[in-house]
Amino acid sequence: MTRITIGQYYPTNSPIHRLDPRVKLLGTIFYITALLFVNHFAGYGLALIFIATLVKISKVPPRLLLRGLRAILFILVFASALNLFLTPGDTVIFQVGFIRLTMEGVAVAGKMVCRLVLLVLGSTILTLTTSPIQLTDGIEALLSPLKRIKVPAHDIAMMMSIALRFIPTLADETEKIIKAQKARGADFDTGGLITRAKSLIPILVPLFISAFKRADELATAMEARCYRGDINRTKMKQMKIAPSDILATAILISFCVAIILTRFI
Amino acid sequence: MINSENLTFKYEAYDASEQTRAALRDVNVKINAGEFVAVLGHNGSGKSTLARHLNALLAPTEGTLWVGGRDTKDPENTWEIRQSVGMVFQNPDNQIIATIVEEDVAFGPENLGVCPTEIRERVDETLAIVRMSKYAAAPPHHLSGGQKQRVAIAGVLAMRPSCIVLDEPSAMLDPSGRREVMETITRLNREQGITIILITHFMEEAARTNRIIVMDEGKVVMDDEPQKIFANVEKMTELKLGVPNVTELAFELKKRGVPMPQDIITIDNFIAAYTSAVGSRSLEAVNGSRSAQASPICEAGSQGEQASPAAAQKSAPILELKNVSHVYNANSVFEKAALSDISLQIFKGEMLTIIGHTGSGKSTLIQHFNALLKPTAGEIFFDGENIHASKKSLKEIRQRVGLVFQYPEHQLFEATIYKDVAFGPTRMGLSEEDIHRQTIEALEAVGLSEKHYEKSPFELSGGQKRRAAIAGVLAMRPEILILDEPAAGLDPRGRENIFAQIKKMHKALGITVVLVSHSMDDAARLTDRVIVMNESRIVCDGTPSEIFARQGQSEFLKKIGLDVPQILRLMTRLNEKDPRFPAQIFSIEAAADALAGAVQP
Repeated sequence: MTRITIGQYYPTNSPIHRLDPRVKLLGTIFYITALLFVNHFAGYGLALIFIATLVKISKVPPRLLLRGLRAILFILVFASALNLFLTPGDTVIFQVGFIRLTMEGVAVAGKMVCRLVLLVLGSTILTLTTSPIQLTDGIEALLSPLKRIKVPAHDIAMMMSIALRFIPTLADETEKIIKAQKARGADFDTGGLITRAKSLIPILVPLFISAFKRADELATAMEARCYRGDINRTKMKQMKIAPSDILATAILISFCVAIILTRFI
Repeated sequence: MINSENLTFKYEAYDASEQTRAALRDVNVKINAGEFVAVLGHNGSGKSTLARHLNALLAPTEGTLWVGGRDTKDPENTWEIRQSVGMVFQNPDNQIIATIVEEDVAFGPENLGVCPTEIRERVDETLAIVRMSKYAAAPPHHLSGGQKQRVAIAGVLAMRPSCIVLDEPSAMLDPSGRREVMETITRLNREQGITIILITHFMEEAARTNRIIVMDEGKVVMDDEPQKIFANVEKMTELKLGVPNVTELAFELKKRGVPMPQDIITIDNFIAAYTSAVGSRSLEAVNGSRSAQASPICEAGSQGEQASPAAAQKSAPILELKNVSHVYNANSVFEKAALSDISLQIFKGEMLTIIGHTGSGKSTLIQHFNALLKPTAGEIFFDGENIHASKKSLKEIRQRVGLVFQYPEHQLFEATIYKDVAFGPTRMGLSEEDIHRQTIEALEAVGLSEKHYEKSPFELSGGQKRRAAIAGVLAMRPEILILDEPAAGLDPRGRENIFAQIKKMHKALGITVVLVSHSMDDAARLTDRVIVMNESRIVCDGTPSEIFARQGQSEFLKKIGLDVPQILRLMTRLNEKDPRFPAQIFSIEAAADALAGAVQP
């Protein structure tokens, strides 16, 4: 009944979708780091053109990206207002009482907005074009060199993928429990904060019991299928670096260098 | 393949004072490669414990178990045993690990360290065997229960086992899901020669195997061919396991002097035996004129006529639906009609069943009865008042129309049974005394004695927990009690118990009862009015005999994903052979009368 889509993956077939998840993950990290070095509007302009091109190639409807921005709208407005009026500066544009708008304030706020918007757009492209399972595979692969210093890369990835698997199941279950308790006279919409918090007990207790039971059964099922961590384990889907991945990496690195160089204009 | 010698197992006690009963006692079983074995027994009889030994999830406390010649106690053998004996569990949701079907099937071979190209081959091959290739890229939560179990079977199969143990794989499935699973494992046994060990509560499933092991209190009490096991009708009834309906019918006929053999377990057996028993004797008066005037009251895809027996009482209906429709996610891509133009009257004191396959709209329908869902079109009247237009609070409606969801014991949350049952009355704002009185009354009505009141829900058996949960709704003193699949997942004894309590409640409290079920058999046996739903509509509404009175009803019910009572299937077959047999009989007694009457001594 409930068709929950996890994350915001937009399934289609584009060159960006086909890229190796490791390339996309690392690329996003490079991109974000590079963005932090930029302090010239030319650099932001360049980045915006780059993002627009990516969206075009990825065949993702642009409105999905804007939806990601809506989530940070509040932070955006709040932080830019603070920056606008609280940045110390000499070039006063106007002043009413203690409120002072300066040229410097406008510049700082503008750059911050650009930086945040570009940051969110970049990471949204990653989640829109990479399925959760590819993401976990990518994270596992990237973390695996750290296994030598005892970072449990495989376990982290397994936990993430099981969590993804059970989100829809538990969401369905929560809905069912809420209805069942309503049928027993529970009321979740009235009363003060404490009453409402208390009314959650009849939902949370059964939900936790069921989650533990599921975890127990799942562990047994995994054991029965010979699971023993990543000892002697193989993977059906192998990640292979294709020529397109190398090309994409090259493009991305030159782009990152280019936007950082705008500092020196 | 499997050989146990005096296998005994005790679960560890939580504290030293506790004396644990042995879950398995001196079990000696030998199962050869290629066998198809059913294991029967109550919950707590040791079936699941035995199953877990076969795959080295548990190791015997005493005695020895060899699987493929390997001792399961030796940790060196664990992985080989787990690879060669696969396990499929009851809950389809709790054994699928990956977010995509093919990834899940690959999980086993990946653990075994099989090379990637071979894993790919195995995944494609096994998905084809269970006929799920089409869904290779689907996320598991979009599949039906039967499909999920087939994926679980494929996941085990991909490890190339020589034996598969299935622990009540169809307990949580609807009839079509059950058929899918049975059909799949039967095929695996015949075509691939895989040994199948099937733990089940369904006697008809057990009858289709080559051997049955019956367990009771940790011991193997019977171990033989299905024919011989079920021939022992008295013993099986005594163990409260029961026998297939045709076996019982043959037993009844024998009591009435028809020379029927004892080893009848399938419809084919029965027909062959009955034909030879009747032999040259005349098939004189076939006593079936009662249901001969069959009028078609069911039309696929159209609204059935109201043929309620209670309608004759001419009382005002307690609950009435007028042209109710419900559309989920209206105006979006996921728009889906769950109810289309439903009109229905339910009368005071009635006991009726709503049946239909998963997704036919039953659940949506009953959630309208107590205003958990609001119709997108149409009106609902309770006691003559439109519930969404009147000033009555929805809370009051929900109190007067009690709804017990499927697996209601999953909603218990208090520390003691008493407190949990008192939740409803407390929320109603009653006085202490009234809360106490109604709580005790409800607990008594479901047959839970005082010694259970202060127990935690965890200390009760499955059936007791379920009854406690029903009491939780009953304690609000509803005028209508709706129960969604009240017997789902229980063992035969638990099923019988719960239905007996519901019947008693209906009689003693005069409460209107609406059951929701997958099972035609239960519907016909328990209630005198049956409403059949299919594709968001009511397709039949009448007494069981009226529902079955239509020609070709067997095919119709099967087509809409319901099971058909075995007796009805038998009578339809006999009727095809000789039209003088009435085809519309579905109860054992009626069939025994008709068939015994046909044989003139």
